[in-house]
Amino acid sequence: MSLMNVGVTALNANQAALQTIGHNIANVNTPGYSRQTVALQTVAGQNRGSGFIGNGVSVATVMRNYSELLNKQATAAKAASAADIARSDSLNQMQDIFSGGDAGLGAAITNMMNAFADLNAAPMDSTARNVVLTRIAELTSRFRASSTSLEEQDYATKQQITNDVTLVNSLAGQVATLNTQISRALATGHTPNDLLDQRDQLIREINQYVKTSQVNADDGSINLYVGGSQALVLGSSVGQLSVSESKDYPGSGKLSLYFNQLNGEQVELSASMVAGGEMAGLLKFNNEDLVEGRNLLGRLALAIGTELNKQNQLGLTLSGNPGTALFDLPSSMPGYSNIPGYDLGTPSASVTYSDTKQLVASDYKIVFGSTPADTKIVRLSDGKTRSLVNDLGVADPLPVPTTFTVDGLTFSLDANAITGTQGQSILFKPFSAAASSIKALVFTPDDLAVSNSVSAAISTNNQGTLQLTQLKSVGTGIPALGTPVTITFGVDAVTGEITYDYTGNTSGPLPYKSGEAITIDGWQIKLAGTPKDGDSVAVSNARDPELGDSWKRNSGNAAAFLDLRDAVIFDNSTTLGDGFASAMAIVGTRTQSAQYAAELSTSVAASLEGERTAVSGVNLDEEAARLLQYQQSYQASAKVIQIAQSLFDSVLNAVNN
Amino acid sequence: MSNISRLGTANAYANTIANLSQQQKQLADQVERVSSGKKVVRPSDDPVAAAQAERARTRLARIETDQRTLAAQRATMTYAESSLGEVNDALIEFRTLVLQAGNGSYSQVERDALANQLESLRAQILTYANRKDSNGLPLFRGLDSQETLIQGQYNYAGQAGQAGSSEYGITNTLNGAMAFMDVSTGNGVLAVHMGNEDPANPGSYLPNTGTAWADVGTIRNPSAAAAVTTPVNVQFQVDAAGAITYTVDGGAAQAYKEGQAISVAGMDVIFKGTPANGDGFTIAPSSKTDVFSVLDGVIAAVRGAGTAGALQQGIAKGVAEIDTAMNRISTVQGYAGDLLNQADRLESTMLKREEQVDTLRGNAEDIDPIKALSDLESMKTSVSVALQSYASIQKLSLFNFIN
Repeated sequence: MSLMNVGVTALNANQAALQTIGHNIANVNTPGYSRQTVALQTVAGQNRGSGFIGNGVSVATVMRNYSELLNKQATAAKAASAADIARSDSLNQMQDIFSGGDAGLGAAITNMMNAFADLNAAPMDSTARNVVLTRIAELTSRFRASSTSLEEQDYATKQQITNDVTLVNSLAGQVATLNTQISRALATGHTPNDLLDQRDQLIREINQYVKTSQVNADDGSINLYVGGSQALVLGSSVGQLSVSESKDYPGSGKLSLYFNQLNGEQVELSASMVAGGEMAGLLKFNNEDLVEGRNLLGRLALAIGTELNKQNQLGLTLSGNPGTALFDLPSSMPGYSNIPGYDLGTPSASVTYSDTKQLVASDYKIVFGSTPADTKIVRLSDGKTRSLVNDLGVADPLPVPTTFTVDGLTFSLDANAITGTQGQSILFKPFSAAASSIKALVFTPDDLAVSNSVSAAISTNNQGTLQLTQLKSVGTGIPALGTPVTITFGVDAVTGEITYDYTGNTSGPLPYKSGEAITIDGWQIKLAGTPKDGDSVAVSNARDPELGDSWKRNSGNAAAFLDLRDAVIFDNSTTLGDGFASAMAIVGTRTQSAQYAAELSTSVAASLEGERTAVSGVNLDEEAARLLQYQQSYQASAKVIQIAQSLFDSVLNAVNN
Repeated sequence: MSNISRLGTANAYANTIANLSQQQKQLADQVERVSSGKKVVRPSDDPVAAAQAERARTRLARIETDQRTLAAQRATMTYAESSLGEVNDALIEFRTLVLQAGNGSYSQVERDALANQLESLRAQILTYANRKDSNGLPLFRGLDSQETLIQGQYNYAGQAGQAGSSEYGITNTLNGAMAFMDVSTGNGVLAVHMGNEDPANPGSYLPNTGTAWADVGTIRNPSAAAAVTTPVNVQFQVDAAGAITYTVDGGAAQAYKEGQAISVAGMDVIFKGTPANGDGFTIAPSSKTDVFSVLDGVIAAVRGAGTAGALQQGIAKGVAEIDTAMNRISTVQGYAGDLLNQADRLESTMLKREEQVDTLRGNAEDIDPIKALSDLESMKTSVSVALQSYASIQKLSLFNFIN
């Protein structure tokens, strides 16, 4: 009978193998499925005195083809690539705001500046004035539209992170449930392969959103940690992620990811702590890339707006009054902090713009140290740190109010703000509102200050060849009505050196150089040519009664507006006209490097996934071959039973006979 | 993946599909580049090139503006230059008519007719001087001016001086003060006035009774002439016998001979006609006047309120001063010509620069069409090869052979 038994065990074992192969084939496309193989073992033989005679085969267990190392590596690589792809995709959208061409923001700036050229030729032409005003309005709406696009992206990113958090929390719950089921199943002595696959797949999905580190527990459950050491899943218990405005900087709109510990305490997870997964990429985008984009745009609006405002205020309108500001720009921005007693409404700390040419497109943070000398201000774009007391000359202890200037920004902190203690900080976003709130202020063509507030006359008695190249007001202090300032030239009879002197000059004759600007009080004159001894130029207030309404036909201020195109107002190196191009290069470079990073990490992830599936994935050809193999074994086993049957029949026949 | 000995079927399919879509994306990108003609469509394609192209576009927009402005400036300056030409022509005609008026055979009636012509010429010249460009700005406004440049009895309602040109354009204003308001009386150094200076009213002269008149004088000793600050008097005496003598600045009496040069204050002055006893001439430093006052002076002389001598002296003085005025106008006209030449040079510089900047922009962002199309073709080929190999490889399955 034992042959029959052997045949039956073989039939069973091969059937199990075939079923497993069928299971493999069925799950060829199931995500996360690990190929299973049946482990066969011989049923130990019995000593019948003439040696051990085998008893057939049995299924030891069903094995899961699985490499823990490759699985972890592939999961981690996927998390990294998800982060890079999320950031790269978001940056790709953002860079459209900074794209060049005739429809870009840069073209709007160029068109506006060039419109002053027509005004320079026709100062009284109301059409030319209207064109400039229209271009100004266009530029402001372009700035606002670009800013709105950034805000929309900000909103969409926050929304996405919130969704991701919800998903991760739910997935973590499922992992915890599976942990319980798996440890229970393991108690039977066999690995619940499909449950393990399910759990690994869930972990892979979690890592798509946030990178976790995994630690296997003895009971077969897996503990998941986020941000290094925060336990998202611990056996069957689950922690929670949440996302909200940073609690350190209420009102700032800065997005922070929090881990809620079981004891209720919230721990902030920074983008670098999260390290991988879509959320890491989105957080980095939201808190770094988008901030930079907003700052570049804001600085562009602020610096250009301020320069044009200044210029318009230096000139005269068609009615002869000093011009007013062309653009409505924010004059100060509050700081954000959670220092006890800090008042955001007043606000307790604020920043104003003292020199727009020095601005660096960055957010700033004042970080309090244990002593005032340790308190420092950090420029967040590049991490440059300056001590308030040691580098910026603020008194120790910090006075009330504490005021200091960094990069063309003046920060001031009142009594409520300087009480910050070690570890507390104040966040400043000086450029976050400029582009969104910029508005045109001048709507009447006559109010555009096209005319110079000063007027020059070169004496007809001059013997030399002096010509006026440029005359403009550059600040406060122009000749008073009726008292022109006369610049008189002298030529040294021996050396031939040319000097000039002027009414009210206290420093004695100064050397003259053709084409070089002479700045006196709040105005500047550029003369070309060679004067003779005694030649003179008189500069008077353009509103002098004896000049009548001459100012109306003067377009000196329009020329000064045109000169602004070449004024270096960004980073000590970039002109107003090229400001947009350099912002575009910065954003383009950022996007490009994010794209490169995404490409690289995607290919790394693909390669590791390939290696993982090389071990765990189902190969249909292989399964087909095994199918044939076990089919034959099964058929052979059946034959064994048939033989056993016929043997038995032979015996019966013998007995019957 | 070469170290892998076995492949997961699902993964292999996924990879193939990923590769296919990657290739198709590249193809789509290339189609976008070819159809837009740009190799840099987004800043991230090549941030440096994108910024270069953007800067070049800013320059091009500016050159375009400068070209338009320059065209307007050139038109204005051409108008100003030709206006000065018209002023010059009118002055030449004026001068010819004045010389005609000196013809001794003309009667006062004929001279009055000439004077009417002269007046209309002066009015024309004044109109030319007050001309405005297409934007309503006086052509000769100097550094600033009121709406009407030359007002009343010839006040220049503006700021004298010539505006210079910049590197992007020429100035669109000329110094009217120099063209019209800067004429020296007499010969430019000294002026000979008919009559003795009125002691009660310095600067005006008592009328002569004789017919003597003087020309504007020829400077012989420039330093002596320049040194004259107070008026020098030439005084004629006629004695009972009719002998005419003269004294210079109270010096010794000398015999007067018509048409002979008298040396006074470093210059030779030729007197003609017959002076009456007590007649005198005053030689004073030249003063500044304007072209319109000069014309008015001549017109007044031709209208003839005074003696025959006064007419002749007025004509001589007027012609000399008109010549000075024409000289000034020619100077300014010449400067306008220089500006027009400068405009030509600027224009050709701008065209060259435009070409250069556009090349720069093209190099930075424009696609090389031949290379782009050949890339497109090869990408198309590789996509179709990938599709074909996918189709043929997916047929290779052991299941196809089990039967």
